[in-house]
Amino acid sequence: MALQEYESIIYRCFRCGYCKLPSDYGDYNCPIYARFRLETCFPGGILWLMRAWWKNEIRWTDRLAKILFSCTTCSNCVEECVMSFKTDILNMITAGKSDMVEMGSVPAKVKGFLENITRYGNPYGESREKRDMWLEGTDIEQYKGQEYLYYVGCVGSYDTRAKEVTKSLGKLLLKSGLDFGVLGKEENCDGNEVRGLGEESLFEAMADDNIKQFRDSGVKKIVTLSPHSYNAMHKYYSQPDGDFEVLHYTQVVKSLIYDKKLDVTKGLTAKVTYHDPCFLGRWNTEYEAPREILGAIPGIELVEMERNKSNAFCCGGGGGNFYIDSFGSSEYVPARIRVREALSTGADILAVACPICLTMLDDAVKVEGIEDRLKVMDISEIVASVCLQEG
Amino acid sequence: MNIIVCVKRVPDITEAAGVVKIEESHKQIDKKNLVFKINEWDEFAVEEAVRLKEKSGGRVVAITVGPQEWDDVARKALAMGADEAIRIDEDVESADCYVVANILAKAIQQQSYDLIMFGAQSEDFGSAQLGPMVAESLGIPHATLIKHIELQNGGLKVSREIEEGMLELHTLSLPALLTIQTGINNPRYVSFVNIKRARDKQLSVLDIQSLSLAKEELTPKAMLERFDPPDVGKKAEVLSGSIEEVVDSLVGILKDAGVL
Repeated sequence: MALQEYESIIYRCFRCGYCKLPSDYGDYNCPIYARFRLETCFPGGILWLMRAWWKNEIRWTDRLAKILFSCTTCSNCVEECVMSFKTDILNMITAGKSDMVEMGSVPAKVKGFLENITRYGNPYGESREKRDMWLEGTDIEQYKGQEYLYYVGCVGSYDTRAKEVTKSLGKLLLKSGLDFGVLGKEENCDGNEVRGLGEESLFEAMADDNIKQFRDSGVKKIVTLSPHSYNAMHKYYSQPDGDFEVLHYTQVVKSLIYDKKLDVTKGLTAKVTYHDPCFLGRWNTEYEAPREILGAIPGIELVEMERNKSNAFCCGGGGGNFYIDSFGSSEYVPARIRVREALSTGADILAVACPICLTMLDDAVKVEGIEDRLKVMDISEIVASVCLQEG
Repeated sequence: MNIIVCVKRVPDITEAAGVVKIEESHKQIDKKNLVFKINEWDEFAVEEAVRLKEKSGGRVVAITVGPQEWDDVARKALAMGADEAIRIDEDVESADCYVVANILAKAIQQQSYDLIMFGAQSEDFGSAQLGPMVAESLGIPHATLIKHIELQNGGLKVSREIEEGMLELHTLSLPALLTIQTGINNPRYVSFVNIKRARDKQLSVLDIQSLSLAKEELTPKAMLERFDPPDVGKKAEVLSGSIEEVVDSLVGILKDAGVL
């Protein structure tokens, strides 16, 4: 069992509850706990359940699996745990998922997610033929050795709302003169959520295939749309064989603005609040690049939510949950909690830098009925509205 | 308990996966961009067979009839827990259920078995004939659309799903054949590691000649002439009025259509 590796640590969690909270204890910051408010539904509780299951004190049940797979891998627990083994908290939860995956006993939607990736190269089960449909109406070219590979990912390729961002970022990069191309139909899933779901071997196989494809195509630099792709490639593709320079698009766009390759002088008058994506923020400590972009646009007033940067509250889409939907319907669904928090800052725009956050929060704004007061926009869309002449 | 499960390879035609196109000949579908997988009903059957084996011991043998591409479906059954798989090497795409039933019955007769399981129907042609035909050919009792199986005293107690979710209870003596309804269980996910492990399990390929079938047994009794997509309806009625009025209209329409 994967949990075996953590034998010496797993007993030591005594459910202090720090993992439920942000650093100022202002609110509940674990998305599962905020939604369900049960003591089984936060990292401490989950670790106790995992330990009991591993030691055969409790049996596997559908409910146990559902609790476990509702973990969005947001890493708040790793951030806030005060014990010496904090860096392993999430690894232990993922090890539990791994053991259930090995058994084959996972919730039906998790099975669907993983099988769709194996069959179609994306979790939606959409045809490969549709993967490059977002390219229509753009002059973006196929990757054939350009300086950068613009890696889109599954959500950006197939999700209706996210595709608008994929396009706007592509157009921005074209405008800036950046030399780049896309893989289109040839692109495969980055595997980040597969890893987060505990299917480690599948993730490694996917990473190997992607690394080979990138190498064979001569890829040296990758700019990703999604922080999830960024995380997978930056953290896990590099060792030992993939020697690519991986950047999230906000890091590239920031430089393009500073180097005057993108002209933002037209400005935009708006009050904007920025939602730190878990995989850019807590996972990879990139809090500044997106803020610098917003700061460089004249007229934008940046207001921070109470829970920002390393305290950001997860949108609830990670760990495959943008598809698996562990949180169901409720006013306490994490995305709805987050948009209410954004609204309370008085902002007109809730800025995001991740296609999963985008779809989760965009849907939440609609469900909350606040579309006329708060607009969810990707940072690339904000910059595009300033830099590009539409029409 | 020795169990034989028969499995079929079908195209994945869930909505999201794309629209199935019909070839020029109107006798085949365009396979070009389709992804293939194990028939959904068969996956439930394999899962049930493996669970029965895990509970009461024995062996599960998966059998399929098809060309080499069909190895993947046989391997899926192995990865789910079948002990052995047999693929009868013959492309039966233009054959009918009569022919396939004859082939399977002959192959099954070479095995020792207590129970044979089929999926209730296939996702592509959905005839639901194969299981009953094989049972009749073998001269054993069968029951279809099974939602629950219990072993008892050298026989089986099974629940058969009929309309409105009602269940009929039957007892059968063994050997017997069951066709399995979806929802009988939650088929396990097969991890990447387990797929690789299944490669070590035995997959035998059987030459159809070795079954010594008579020509008549391999001649279809039903031939597919052609198929066409259904006409796309052009009528759409937009109901207007207050919510109460719209609901009344809708209820009326549904009643007239015999739905309510």
